[in-house]
Amino acid sequence: MTNIIRILALAAVLALALMLAVVAGDFGPWYFAWLVGTTMIVLISVAGAVLFETQHAAGDTPYEHSAPTET
Amino acid sequence: MINPTVVDLSRLQFALTALYHFLFVPLTLGMTFILASMETVYVITGKQIYKDMTQFWGKLFGINFAIGVATGLTMEFEFGTNWSMYSHFVGDVFGTPLAIEGLMAFFMESTFVGLMFFGWDRLSRGAHLAVTFLVALGSNLSALWILIANGFMQDPVGASFDPKTMRMQFRSFGALVFSPDAQAKFVHTTLAGFVTGAMFVMGVSAYYLLRKQHREFAARSFRMAALFGIISSLAVVTLGDALGRLDFLVQPTKLAAMEGIWHTSKPPYAPWKIFAIPDDKTQKDLFNVSIPYVLTPLVAHDFTSPIPGVDALEHSARAKVIKGIKAVVALKAYGTTRNPAALAAFRANESDMGYGFLAQRYAPDQDLSKITVQNLPSIVQKAARDTIPNVFVEFWSFRLMVLLGFVFVVVFAFCAYYSLRNELEKHPLLLKAATWAIPLPVLACEFGWITAENGRQPWTVFGWLPTFQSASSHDVGYMVFSLVGFAFLYSLFIAAELYLMFKFARLGPVQHLTQTPHAPAFVQPALGQPGFTDKSWADNSWQ
Ligand code: HEM
Repeated sequence: MTNIIRILALAAVLALALMLAVVAGDFGPWYFAWLVGTTMIVLISVAGAVLFETQHAAGDTPYEHSAPTET
Repeated sequence: MINPTVVDLSRLQFALTALYHFLFVPLTLGMTFILASMETVYVITGKQIYKDMTQFWGKLFGINFAIGVATGLTMEFEFGTNWSMYSHFVGDVFGTPLAIEGLMAFFMESTFVGLMFFGWDRLSRGAHLAVTFLVALGSNLSALWILIANGFMQDPVGASFDPKTMRMQFRSFGALVFSPDAQAKFVHTTLAGFVTGAMFVMGVSAYYLLRKQHREFAARSFRMAALFGIISSLAVVTLGDALGRLDFLVQPTKLAAMEGIWHTSKPPYAPWKIFAIPDDKTQKDLFNVSIPYVLTPLVAHDFTSPIPGVDALEHSARAKVIKGIKAVVALKAYGTTRNPAALAAFRANESDMGYGFLAQRYAPDQDLSKITVQNLPSIVQKAARDTIPNVFVEFWSFRLMVLLGFVFVVVFAFCAYYSLRNELEKHPLLLKAATWAIPLPVLACEFGWITAENGRQPWTVFGWLPTFQSASSHDVGYMVFSLVGFAFLYSLFIAAELYLMFKFARLGPVQHLTQTPHAPAFVQPALGQPGFTDKSWADNSWQ
């Protein structure tokens, strides 16, 4: 039951997002670009951090065994 | 009678309060989305350090937000107190987005800011992340409405003048909200905020890396900010180009001043001036370095459209002034007699009414009906000349903004590249450049705002209402008193912001965290991929 509710809620969000995209795309191309662009900027920044963790786990960062260096 | 000193003081006061306010706004716009990005990583990976990053940068954001809100409040009241003629003329149209902006800022943004700061231990991780995104959306949406209002001042769409009420009447909410000017302004300005926020986080992180302090914290913050900044700075340039083209289409006087074009040339010859010293008095450059054949494709995006220079614009304004004088005289007659013939005469010249208002200050006793055949040419000439904004200020504020824009792209590109290679600490000069660059985006924003608003002169509502007719009828003493009061108060705000920012940034994340009660150091990540569940973080050894 909770799964069905969750799926319905997500479907509603999806429908709303699609409607917003269609309206914004039709009447406000720059608004649409902002919605897509801002999402992309956030995701790229997040991806950069996730990549950092992967590099860190592989020992590719200079911080592996760094002891605290506070002053 | 309009007192020009009161108008100048009102302008100075608004410019001062707006310039002060705009020192804070861009950082708020950008920091909120950077915080949301950091918290997203915390929710995905479950690593405590990203929560600490969100909280530490959130604290610096909080200082800026609180002072920024305080400086913004007065401006909304200034429209009523110092610009009452303007508020009367366009209140119907301008008031709507301004009211929505107030609701967005006070209800949505402020409510969620409270939840963001105090909800860490009360909300689930997902709910808190949603709140942080809503803060980001709220702050940027409140900017949207003020920029829609400003978009109307630059390109008044969605309204028409009603001679019965003597005010602009609201006709179309859709036209107002989806005006191309408002759209491009919104995206350019918010992205300028993203650049400002990214440079701030990157610059402070660079400072830590240079001093070998909080290295793991700083390296991650730096990485996220550099990537955030490189895309944002590229997008700012793209939108800057779109705004320039819009100015070419709807505000040619602004464009001519921005590019220092005194004379119209045959397309596609129009030269692009790299450097010039424009002289407004003689309408010539004292010196210039320019490249021919660049401006037409750059601005018009084709090779055939002529870019009108100041000479052609002034010439076409003269005809408009004559029509405008007829419109205003007919409007006055209609106002007193309600004569249909007067209304018909007004309607025939209505589109140039604003140019008639412009001529008013040069008419005998500021009364257009006293214009005679003898004094008409000189009045028309002066009013037409007034339609050109100050070229020197416009040319240089625009040039400096654009120059800084390209500097940011270069700085972010190098920073992102070396951060991705984890070689930042091998390039101390780059780290120093990033630290010194912290205030530059704020400066670019101020130049951008000067470009937009100086370029709109001599109008408050482009083509409809001149600035000198928009002010209230205060006396000079009142204006001087309030101006000095604001300058003093706002300088205190700036001093408080700088003191707190330097203090907390210098203290760094460790001191911040020892003062903040901690949630459990490690939480289960939302996505449990291998590599992201590294429990070594549980001991917070990075501190
Ligand atoms: C190549 C780079 C850029 C170009 C071509 C450009 C172009 C423009 C233009 C044409 C305007 C005037 C808009 C109007 O007519 O109202 C403007 C305004 C503005 N610019 Fe830029 N810009 C650039 C870079 C930047 C940068 C790097 C920043 C800040 C980080 C910035 C911040 C602003 C701001 C805050 C405004 C005022 C927005 C408004 O209220 O209209 N710009 N820009």
